[in-house]
Amino acid sequence: MIHGATSFFDHLVQAGWALWDNRLRTILSMLGIMVGIAAVVTVGTLTKGGHHMIFRELHTFGLTSTWVFRAEEDKDPNRAVREGSGIDNDDLEVIRSGCCPAVKRVTPMVMGWVKRMIIRFGNRYSHGQIEGVGYEYTRINNDTVIMGRHLERADELRRKPVVIIGPTVRSDLFMMHDDPVGKEIYIDGRKFVIVGVLETKSRDFMTSIGVGAAFGDVNNRILMPFTVLQQMLGKKEIDVLQAEAVDLGVSELAVSQMIRVLQHRHDDHYSYKEETMAQYIATANRILQGVSVIGVVAASVSLLVGALGIMNMMGTSVLERTREIGLRKAIGARRRDILLQFLLEAALISSVGGVLGLILGGLVSYAVTLLIGFPLMTSWMVVIIGLVVSVGVGLLSGYYPARRAAMMHPVEALRYE
Amino acid sequence: MIELKEIHKSYLLGKIPIPALRGVSLKIEKGEFVAITGPSGSGKSTLLNIIGCLDRADAGSYGLIEHRVDALSDDELASLRNRRLGFVFQMFNLVPRINAQRNVELPLVYAGVSLSDRKRRARELLDRVGLEDRINHSPAQLSGGQQQRVAIARAIVNDPDIVIADEPTGNLDSVAGKEIMELLLRLNAKGTTIVMVTHEAWIARQAQRIVRLRDGMIESSGR
Repeated sequence: MIHGATSFFDHLVQAGWALWDNRLRTILSMLGIMVGIAAVVTVGTLTKGGHHMIFRELHTFGLTSTWVFRAEEDKDPNRAVREGSGIDNDDLEVIRSGCCPAVKRVTPMVMGWVKRMIIRFGNRYSHGQIEGVGYEYTRINNDTVIMGRHLERADELRRKPVVIIGPTVRSDLFMMHDDPVGKEIYIDGRKFVIVGVLETKSRDFMTSIGVGAAFGDVNNRILMPFTVLQQMLGKKEIDVLQAEAVDLGVSELAVSQMIRVLQHRHDDHYSYKEETMAQYIATANRILQGVSVIGVVAASVSLLVGALGIMNMMGTSVLERTREIGLRKAIGARRRDILLQFLLEAALISSVGGVLGLILGGLVSYAVTLLIGFPLMTSWMVVIIGLVVSVGVGLLSGYYPARRAAMMHPVEALRYE
Repeated sequence: MIELKEIHKSYLLGKIPIPALRGVSLKIEKGEFVAITGPSGSGKSTLLNIIGCLDRADAGSYGLIEHRVDALSDDELASLRNRRLGFVFQMFNLVPRINAQRNVELPLVYAGVSLSDRKRRARELLDRVGLEDRINHSPAQLSGGQQQRVAIARAIVNDPDIVIADEPTGNLDSVAGKEIMELLLRLNAKGTTIVMVTHEAWIARQAQRIVRLRDGMIESSGR
């Protein structure tokens, strides 16, 4: 009594014919899904690219970095202690000696911009920003030295006149193919030997949203032993201590350990403030989350519109083909045959639309990438999600009309005008 | 072959039930050619739909070949229609977007017959109804008579025991109508049982037996 099952291929062919018969309508509902999936892909790709870029830039500060400096409001004219940065070389050595377990490495920072100094090589000049730093500065900041070497402990101790220059300084002072390492340059009339050149770093995005602007152009730095800069400026203090925490989770702890040491050593004369990368990372994550929520909502809305388009098209199609449905039932189509045929039509529209949407989304992402310099992050996850979602949307939105078709009474369907 | 006992069927018009069949009992033997006639509203289409397993009776029993139709599920009825019955309609009811051959193949699609067997069988049947040169024509490219011949090929492609024909000549001119009747008579001569509804007397007269309905009851059963 049970007759042989109609093959899936046969159902697919029937669905294909029906769609081909209504080409314009099919293409229009495909467009809806295509736009929706393209939106999903674009949002997914750009969110991932943005995340990658922001974290690549955060990495240029060292993800576990913290900065400690004297609080500005502490320099109240009504208070007894006004002058000074509240950090000296002995403080640095105490922290370096391992008194703060959450601190892995620490570097002093002495700012050179307080004095205008002329930087010259032959008859070429640079407007580089001079920073006096410790020997671990480049490692803490994830700086790569592409030529020469990092600063060493001995450079600090013996106040050696050596500098490491950034790529902008290099191009200002030297020809493209010249090796700057070993060359002598003059800073404020003193002779320095270049011992290293830093790799180019990008903080474009961070700078554009105002993060780290205080540090100036990262590629225009001239790093020298802080002891040398102190001598040139005639001061014995350190402006900022930058410390690398053992890991991200303990950066606040590293800060409080350092501040406690500083306050103790200066008899609570000063109060200190800190900044941590952890705070910036949290902010970045919040922003990224916000952006992706907006993106997901926008993509969902366009997908929903696409789904409604399919539902509407299938509804119209079922109505128009009522007599055909009646006929198919009369000659032996079971409910599931009719259901499957219409579901397949919907799934075919949405999956073809989905594939086209993936392509469109890829192109849009690529265009945006070119436009704003995001890295293009393709992921198989996005492709798989896009396909699963598009087929799912097709099945969901096709189900109601397909079920209506499947439940039709053959006699009433045949009589339909 | 067909045995109906005390069949009742009514339709709801709004909330008022309108009786269409009021206790119809009818027996049709294998190989008969039966024409059901009667004025419009006499219940002849309703009766044909029940015989064709497209509709169910409200009360009464229906035996078809070895099956008790009233006990079967909807899917079992679909299967029964697919295997044992063929349908010819007044409006032809061909699927417009597919060609003659594929229209004839349709019942075989639902029977799960393979593509190559379907093709062969459909061509054989189109050949038999004289449309071997119209295999790739779409319904719109065929005349009414040709469309109805495609429909007959479709009705018998599954080698049914019974062909159910609902006003098969109702939409045709008399020449085409005659051709269709000839086809049905030839089919009947080879042993296929035919049950046909018609309101045209000259069509009905060509059947072996005429069943007349009036007001949902059998006026004369031709026996």
